[in-house]
Amino acid sequence: MRKFFPVEELARDSRFNQVTMKDRMADPRSALVKDEPRQKSNRLVPSRPDASAAARGLMHGIFVGEIQALEGAGRTCHDFRTAGDSARRAQDDAHGEDSFADAVPFALKLDMARQAWDEARHVEISVKLSDWMGSEIGEFAENTVLFQAACSTDPILRLAGVNRALEGLAIDVFTTMKEFGDLAGDPYLEFCEDWMLADEVTHVKMGSDWLRRVTEHDPDRRKKALEFQSVVDKLFSYGGTRSDSQESPIGLARRFRELAGFTDDEVEDIAEVSLAALEERKASVARMQATAREFAAS
Amino acid sequence: MPCTGVRPHLGGIVADPYKPRAPFAPWDRRELPGLFDVEESARRIGNYKWAEMKLFEALGGWVATVPELDVKMRLGTHCYKHAWHAELWHKRLPELREMNPERLTQPANDAMVRFIEAMTEPEAPEQTIEKLVGVYRVFIPHFIAAYTFHKNNTSQITDAPTIRSLQFILQDEFDDWRDGEMLIQSLIETPEEVDRAAAHQTRLEKLMIEAGGIAGPGSIGGAGAGGAS
Ligand SMILES: [Fe+2]
Ligand SMILES: [Fe+2]
Repeated sequence: MRKFFPVEELARDSRFNQVTMKDRMADPRSALVKDEPRQKSNRLVPSRPDASAAARGLMHGIFVGEIQALEGAGRTCHDFRTAGDSARRAQDDAHGEDSFADAVPFALKLDMARQAWDEARHVEISVKLSDWMGSEIGEFAENTVLFQAACSTDPILRLAGVNRALEGLAIDVFTTMKEFGDLAGDPYLEFCEDWMLADEVTHVKMGSDWLRRVTEHDPDRRKKALEFQSVVDKLFSYGGTRSDSQESPIGLARRFRELAGFTDDEVEDIAEVSLAALEERKASVARMQATAREFAAS
Repeated sequence: MPCTGVRPHLGGIVADPYKPRAPFAPWDRRELPGLFDVEESARRIGNYKWAEMKLFEALGGWVATVPELDVKMRLGTHCYKHAWHAELWHKRLPELREMNPERLTQPANDAMVRFIEAMTEPEAPEQTIEKLVGVYRVFIPHFIAAYTFHKNNTSQITDAPTIRSLQFILQDEFDDWRDGEMLIQSLIETPEEVDRAAAHQTRLEKLMIEAGGIAGPGSIGGAGAGGAS
């Protein structure tokens, strides 16, 4: 088995369709896209006219995201040497490496294995929830950007990009879905989202703790990891889908982020980036509408 | 008053807590002698930890490579269980006077390294049968054998902490073996696939014979079972 696994080769059965981030955002059924005349609130709540389809689409997005989170955590167990394990490794030999530079602490790998189990349960939960909500596997496309963040060759960058940025987003998504279940009078959905939320807070905290610990005496590596995290955060703020504004379908779960080891400054940074992305999207929609009007008038 | 074994006590009759009792209850037949001394126990446990590490790393790595959704989820679940086993062994080593657990965290021998290389070789999405056969028809049955031998031969009194861990771990190994075997049976649908599974199993078993088992020769007794009695 190779040391690093390319995102294009993620193994899926025939029901799945993989697409890019841009394609997925352009899917009109997505909870994250609402270009019609803007309402006061775009938050994913049951009163939204498209709530049912949007919630199903979001749940499918959660389902494929959980598969990739499982795959990413599993790869981190495999791809890097364990500190102290001096036995020959075929994957290092094949990679032309005999360096131990990327070795990670044994306890970090144990956390990643634990995360793999948690994500496997999340796949189980989201398959059953999707079924409960009336959708099928493959009904929506799969965007593989989460696994891409898990392809970094530096384990600490993986933790920053996946555990802090993407799992941080999962905290926001699950909080919104839990509230959705509560408002919709769906205790089944609310119950499951609450359990997954507890696990995600744990995963983000793992990322926060290991980032701090491993880079304690390596400020450059920490800086690089935090930069990577903010790139991923920005990528997922695309279109302002997640922000404090009611115009975003998904809110920012400040309290749970705090529990997971985000500092107040970090939460503020994400809030700012998300709002900026929302404004950027609104401006771009306005520009497109103006162009369309001009074209119609000419 | 004649000694009756009971004493009057505040209006009631209670059993005499001062009556001498045998230190071991009649149903407790545990014995002191065991096959392994502290060093031998630690050596074996170091081999177990290394092998459990290789197993959880392989299972984690394979998750992305298998297209079958049910298999993908089981591999993720089992990955954690073997990591937990490695953690139990990691924590046991310092209790066996090995203050640097990494020193003994090693393969039993070079053949064991070659076994791991061969077991983790299949990567293609069409090779789920080979991946599962390596783990559930070869590696895990050898874990069950080595752990059972250890549990049944170590001192039941002096090495009780190892026995407790072995019991937890063996329960997991049996559960996972059953899960894996059922997945394999559900995937094998043609005589050709039976041959594929058998060929891969044969290849890996030969390497395991060379290694002598999870803890090397003597893993399940016979030559090299070693230690004090
Ligand atoms: Fe998850
Ligand atoms: Fe997670």
